[in-house]
Amino acid sequence: METLKNAVDFSDFPRIDLVIAGAVAFLFLIFPLFSASSFAMATMIQFFMFSLYGMGWNTIGGYGGQVDLGKAQYVGIGAYTTAVMLLRWDIPFWVSMPVGMGIAVIWSFIIGYPLFRLKGHYFAIATIATSLVLKDLFTVWSFVGAARGLEISPITYPPPDYMRLIFKEDIYYYYLILGFFFLGLLYMNWFRKSRLGFQLRCIKDNEDMARSLGINVHWAKIKTYAIATAFVSMVGSFHVCYIKVIEPVDIMSLDLSILIALMAMLGGAGSLWGPIIGAGVLIPLRSYLKEWLGAAAGLVGIDLIFYALIIMIVSAFEPRGIWGIVEKVRRRKRR
Amino acid sequence: MAFLEVQNLTKTFGGLRANDSISFSLEREELIGLIGPNGAGKTTLFNCICGHHPVTSGRIIFDGQDVTALKAHAMARLGIGRTFQVYAATGDLTVLEKVMVGCFLHTRSRSKARACAEEILGDLKLFDLSDYLVSELPVAAQKRVVMAMALGTQPRLLLLDEVAAGLNTPEIEEIMASIRHVNKDRGVTVILIEHVMEMVMKVSERIIVLDYGAKIAEGPPEVIAKDSKVIKAYLGERYAKEHGTIDHRSSINDQNQIR
Repeated sequence: METLKNAVDFSDFPRIDLVIAGAVAFLFLIFPLFSASSFAMATMIQFFMFSLYGMGWNTIGGYGGQVDLGKAQYVGIGAYTTAVMLLRWDIPFWVSMPVGMGIAVIWSFIIGYPLFRLKGHYFAIATIATSLVLKDLFTVWSFVGAARGLEISPITYPPPDYMRLIFKEDIYYYYLILGFFFLGLLYMNWFRKSRLGFQLRCIKDNEDMARSLGINVHWAKIKTYAIATAFVSMVGSFHVCYIKVIEPVDIMSLDLSILIALMAMLGGAGSLWGPIIGAGVLIPLRSYLKEWLGAAAGLVGIDLIFYALIIMIVSAFEPRGIWGIVEKVRRRKRR
Repeated sequence: MAFLEVQNLTKTFGGLRANDSISFSLEREELIGLIGPNGAGKTTLFNCICGHHPVTSGRIIFDGQDVTALKAHAMARLGIGRTFQVYAATGDLTVLEKVMVGCFLHTRSRSKARACAEEILGDLKLFDLSDYLVSELPVAAQKRVVMAMALGTQPRLLLLDEVAAGLNTPEIEEIMASIRHVNKDRGVTVILIEHVMEMVMKVSERIIVLDYGAKIAEGPPEVIAKDSKVIKAYLGERYAKEHGTIDHRSSINDQNQIR
């Protein structure tokens, strides 16, 4: 009961935040009614997916301060589990998604146990390495389609298939991922106030101090890593149903891992709104810059330059991201 | 049976014997001072008792249980709390939240942890500072917050590492009152590392002196203040003269038994 209350209790934020958040949530709900282009719709779906990836990353990377640059491996595990189970045995999404989460969590324990003996940059590098190894394994594993990957798009679209998540129109995907998004947000709101959330923030602050307060630092990190993993894998399962094609070089790439981490950091690592703000800035920017400057004007890669610039500016002025700036200003005003 | 018993505890770092066969014991609700020159091994001793360092040899028995091999977080669970000498007050947790982290050791419920933290902050007269970041507070308040954090875990034994360092006289009086309160009214056994003699001598019931990793003296403050070995190793002739504790005869004895 208290858990539920904590999940829906946002009262520690100033009222202005809640008004803005409520307005934005309402806009999300009615967006499809006004959406002019399928391009905007696709961008929004991407935005929700990446917000969720960022929220998952934010548990261990933001609150826990363990910079993880290997999240793509768990996107891959979720996506592949769903695709393989669908293609081989015709198992619906609602079964394959939890199975994928289970496999991803088991894998996260296997690599988390040794990896969390490492700290700082060494940990970050090790997460990249495991992710790349897994990608290479999938590239040669014929059971999952090897380097060519898998395709799940049907030849003709049946009426909306809610079990397998095969839809012709994006609007179904939109509301589904929006539902996931709200659930994810509630979960994160609970998490940041939970015992584990507090313990992680203490670990980020000072590990020796955390130990002296009775926190099993290694185990707390592993547990949180598993939570982050489950989150990411769940969205990975959805991801594949939405884009319908997966290749290991794409879905398990370092680019994706870095993008996930960057969004959360840009928005504000270790804050509730951070990953959402980060995704809200980067995803539309990426899509539209690619569309306008990349495809239209032939300036391929210009989007990369833009978000590198943003990241440099943010990290130079406030390492805690956009939300860090907001909080700083507020603290100054209060004094 | 003593509350805490340290038997022949030795800790070496490579060739350095940071703690050399130290033995002592303390009873429930005692308040002990641990003094000695810089590098004498005081903090190392704390780290060993708390499980931050694995000990090289010797045994630690806490409340009838052999805890020599336990890790730091397990020791906290058993009821040993500590503060750190150098504490960089970083992070985005407020004072209340920091104390809550300790309280979460014994409960999963946020509201219970909060109530526990508020009780401790009120008890240490820190309640007004609840919503500040630790980095926004003056040093004296930070030191008391650090104590409050350790108290969150409901320790039965509290190890305080230089909580008075860098404070002025009124602030020392204040933190001394807090320590006495924790010891007498909350019933927490305390070991205190401190260089501020006016505080250690006043507040401790018993003092243990370390030098070069070994225990060189142990006894009530007034005896320690006169002990020739302690004066030589740590207090210095001037302190002894100022406090009128020098004993001419023991000084002469002392010269005969120079290391």
